[in-house]
Amino acid sequence: MTNRRDFLKLGAASATLALAGGGTLTAAKELPHKGGKDFSPKTGKERAAVPTACWQCVTRCPAIGYVEGGRLVKIGGQPSSIRTEGKMCAKGQGGVNQVYDPDRILYPMKRVGARGEGKWKRITWDQALAEVAGRLKKLRDDGHPEKFMFHYGRMKASSSKLIKSVFLGTYGTKTVGNHTSICEGGKWTAQELTWGKHYDNWDFDNARYVVNFGSNCLEAHTNHTPVAHRLARALVERNLRMVTFDVRLSNTAAKSNEWVPIKSGTDGAVALAMCNVIMSEDLYRGDGEAFMTFCRFTKDPTATLDEKVAVLKAHLSSYTPEWAEKISGVDADKIREVAREFATTKPACVISYRGAVAHYNGNDTERAIQMLAAITGNVDNPGGRCRAVGAKWKYPKGPKNKPKAKKLKILDGFKGDAALPTHHMSHRVLKMIKDGKAGRPEVYMWYCYAPVYANGEVQENIDVLKDESMIPFSVCVNPFYDESAALADLILPDATYLERWDWEDMVSPRQIGEYYVRQPVVKPLGEARDFGDVCCELAERMGMPLGFKTKEEFVRKSCEMTPGIKEAGGFEYMKEHGVWHDPKAKPKFYSYKKKVSAKKLEADGVILDEATGVYWNWHKSKAKSEEEASQKGYTHTKNAYKGYVAQMIGDEVVAGFKPDKVNKSGYMELYSAIMEDKGFAPLPTYVSIPEHEAMKPGELILTTYKVAVQIHSRSQNCKWLTEIYHSNPGWINPATAAARGISDGDAIKVKSPVAEIETRARVTPAVVPGVIAISHHCGHWEYGRYASAKKAPLGTDDDPELKRKWWKDNGVHPNWLIANAPDPINGQLRFMDTVVSVTRV
Amino acid sequence: MSQVNTGSGVSRRNFVKGAGAATAAGLGVAALPRAARGAEADGKPNYGMLIDVRRCIGCQACSVACKAEFDVPLGATRSWVEYIEKGEYPNIGRSFLPRLCNQCNHPACVRVCPTGATWKRAEDGIVVVDPDICIGCKYCVHACPYDARFINPVTGSADKCDFCLHRVSQGLEPACVETCIGRARVFGDLNDPDSEISRQIASNPVTVLRQGQGTEPNVYYIAADHSDEHDVAHRGRYVDVTTHRREEARR
Repeated sequence: MTNRRDFLKLGAASATLALAGGGTLTAAKELPHKGGKDFSPKTGKERAAVPTACWQCVTRCPAIGYVEGGRLVKIGGQPSSIRTEGKMCAKGQGGVNQVYDPDRILYPMKRVGARGEGKWKRITWDQALAEVAGRLKKLRDDGHPEKFMFHYGRMKASSSKLIKSVFLGTYGTKTVGNHTSICEGGKWTAQELTWGKHYDNWDFDNARYVVNFGSNCLEAHTNHTPVAHRLARALVERNLRMVTFDVRLSNTAAKSNEWVPIKSGTDGAVALAMCNVIMSEDLYRGDGEAFMTFCRFTKDPTATLDEKVAVLKAHLSSYTPEWAEKISGVDADKIREVAREFATTKPACVISYRGAVAHYNGNDTERAIQMLAAITGNVDNPGGRCRAVGAKWKYPKGPKNKPKAKKLKILDGFKGDAALPTHHMSHRVLKMIKDGKAGRPEVYMWYCYAPVYANGEVQENIDVLKDESMIPFSVCVNPFYDESAALADLILPDATYLERWDWEDMVSPRQIGEYYVRQPVVKPLGEARDFGDVCCELAERMGMPLGFKTKEEFVRKSCEMTPGIKEAGGFEYMKEHGVWHDPKAKPKFYSYKKKVSAKKLEADGVILDEATGVYWNWHKSKAKSEEEASQKGYTHTKNAYKGYVAQMIGDEVVAGFKPDKVNKSGYMELYSAIMEDKGFAPLPTYVSIPEHEAMKPGELILTTYKVAVQIHSRSQNCKWLTEIYHSNPGWINPATAAARGISDGDAIKVKSPVAEIETRARVTPAVVPGVIAISHHCGHWEYGRYASAKKAPLGTDDDPELKRKWWKDNGVHPNWLIANAPDPINGQLRFMDTVVSVTRV
Repeated sequence: MSQVNTGSGVSRRNFVKGAGAATAAGLGVAALPRAARGAEADGKPNYGMLIDVRRCIGCQACSVACKAEFDVPLGATRSWVEYIEKGEYPNIGRSFLPRLCNQCNHPACVRVCPTGATWKRAEDGIVVVDPDICIGCKYCVHACPYDARFINPVTGSADKCDFCLHRVSQGLEPACVETCIGRARVFGDLNDPDSEISRQIASNPVTVLRQGQGTEPNVYYIAADHSDEHDVAHRGRYVDVTTHRREEARR
């Protein structure tokens, strides 16, 4: 054995040697900041680096998987990414644990006991696919492809195109559910009503002032790391000033210059009062005034600026800061101060998310926030609230002759649930199935979705999924045995995202599209298979080949078809480099101002709608003739928005704000004729939340949130993440707690109209009085031992880390308490409206 | 004596030496001027880290990067982030304090080691542990005023942050630095007055943790909240510290 003396001697010797030979370490200042490399601390050897893409959250950051001895050991950022600039959050790095979860499902499994009993047998892929293809083929051949319901939680980019557009399109079902209504679908509807296509990018690289309504983008966001690293830098490097309105001191609120506590569900009142201040103090002058040319504030879209201003001032006149103070609890003077700062610091960006929009009045809260951006000219400008820019891939479309797809009318809730559910109502689907009047699927298959856990009213979700009379046959496609998989008839073991192919396209905060791919870092464990590949095989088995045999082939062909990628070297380039963006591309701002050529307006089928000033191509709508189109007009012809070409504003014809999903004009519509048609106020208006108005003394509002180290429902099996965050006591303000005799750490009962749960109290001044805040992520009763302490069927015991798991508390799940109730306009699940009573146990 | 699993036959002990070689090699390129700090510079680097807490968003990317880099067993932490919540409603704040081994100039851990298994490297100032020599007596674990050490249940040896010596020796930044979302961490040579870390330390008010211990840490902070929760609580003010590690109380 070597002793220390030898060790040091050897060290000195090798040091001398290396001096002669030349080493790699330079002075610290010369350390590369690029990264993209890693070495084993055990062997010193370089780890193989495989460019890929994350899938932990929907941000889907470009990533690098590091492999040592055939095993994925680490995931890091992709230094060539213009979105992340090489950064990778905790969640993304925890993805390593997804692959090696000892409770992962590695083989097709068929239920043998009663549904939900937990008894399974391993079957072969051939048996599994023979059964699925047999059932699907029969439904299709009987003329009822719609009785195959496919419900996904997250399916994006190439996975979405392959599975939804090509496979399901070729099969002929449109009974395809999503999950957007439990996420932020309401925000998207409000954006579709105002500026057209959904999604807003926040240009923190250029903003000087940020007002935040209910976004926790430094911890969790649909574009988390690309946005968070920019915001974190801007706050320090450029002295960006940020004010956050939130019911809870999130880490985002904590890093803001100011946290302004606000009563739950009243963000819209504050936003409208800020608009009131800006209009009444004439702070819209300048950029706001200029932008108003492109806005619709009145019934008549051609109104003059003076008319627009007069209408706005009149509409906002009652929304005074004093009025908002009474509703929101925010000091009137504070509202004035923030409004003035926001309007006079250029450029400024107003941001918002679920804290503001997942309410009964969320639709108009988001519309009021859009108005705030509009009247200060902070729309689609450097430093403002911008429309999304992402990659535009080309891809194989599959067989040309697709059948006319059929669907069960169970995706948009019950009649009267919501007026404009443009992103559907996934949280109502199981209720619709239970009701049965609109039909029931005979095969219900879900993919990357947790219907039991992710929706509200957990008990009802369980009851419906368990009931064979409501759902005769269910298939779960999942790498993991979660609460929903436990209720399936058949489980198809999906590959994890680190074992599969995709091309990707998520929004870029640089306003320049980023193209990137996900490639397998390691081979799928066991018999796990990417569901994209499974779809190709199912299609073959049903006699409807898709024109490619695997997802890899689909991705390869997409790379060869997509301009830019093709020239850069296609599939092989993307495999090697992972990401690509057009080096000549300029950030996309102000595209609404772009003039549209006469040639485009003269194209076949393009007509001018006199009422709105929209040029549109009636061929792309549901109109049968030009006469019908002209007679019904743009606004009232079904799918007219699909033919939108340009907007006439004064003497000019511009690209405008292109609509999506609704027949909105090319103006940024703060006055919405569509809303008016549906019986709602056309201009953004404040409506209070009925349940909050009817609260009895002593009741509290339940609010939920996400933390920096967990994804909503699919990361608690990641041991490195759950070691950091596994327990989620309810946050209660000291005054609220004292009034109920509750002390920090006390066991408490939280009861809502739909259920009750027990948890512990965390008494903290970091939450407003009158609220209990319980995070998501925790309280699993399946999902394997790291998440729930419960072993999955066929789980293995060879992971030595299992015995080192030291935490006993797996937390609680707030969704048991939350009703699956929709926003009456857009159908969004009103996650933050639940009224509860909280008592000490 | 326990030994790290050595897939390729290279032991941790040899590797530490190899890394030393590469470190020394770099000096040929660097030709560093001696800075005001760093007692026995002789042109050798003294590595340190500066953590600008203003830039830290408490995201734990560093904590998980470290877990992955070293496959740190559950229950142990080489790198972690504490949250300090303080104030009264509505004047309440939360700050974040990233923690790791301070690579002290006067390391308490080294002083108590009975076998010489841990020492501060003359080449670069990094405090290392040789798991082949360590007998797992835990003296160092208890002696460290920062709770930065643990007994690794896989190797049986004392373990802790080593500034990612295996990466640094290859010209890479430590894993926590590379991944840091807010770019809060600056790693570099404190002996080089032109290094980024030296320039930032020279131009900002900086602090070290538990200065009174006389350990002379090489991890510096900008805008760190040094509140001692017990002192604050004694004054009747709300303070709550979450360590996000198995050890709920902090040292």
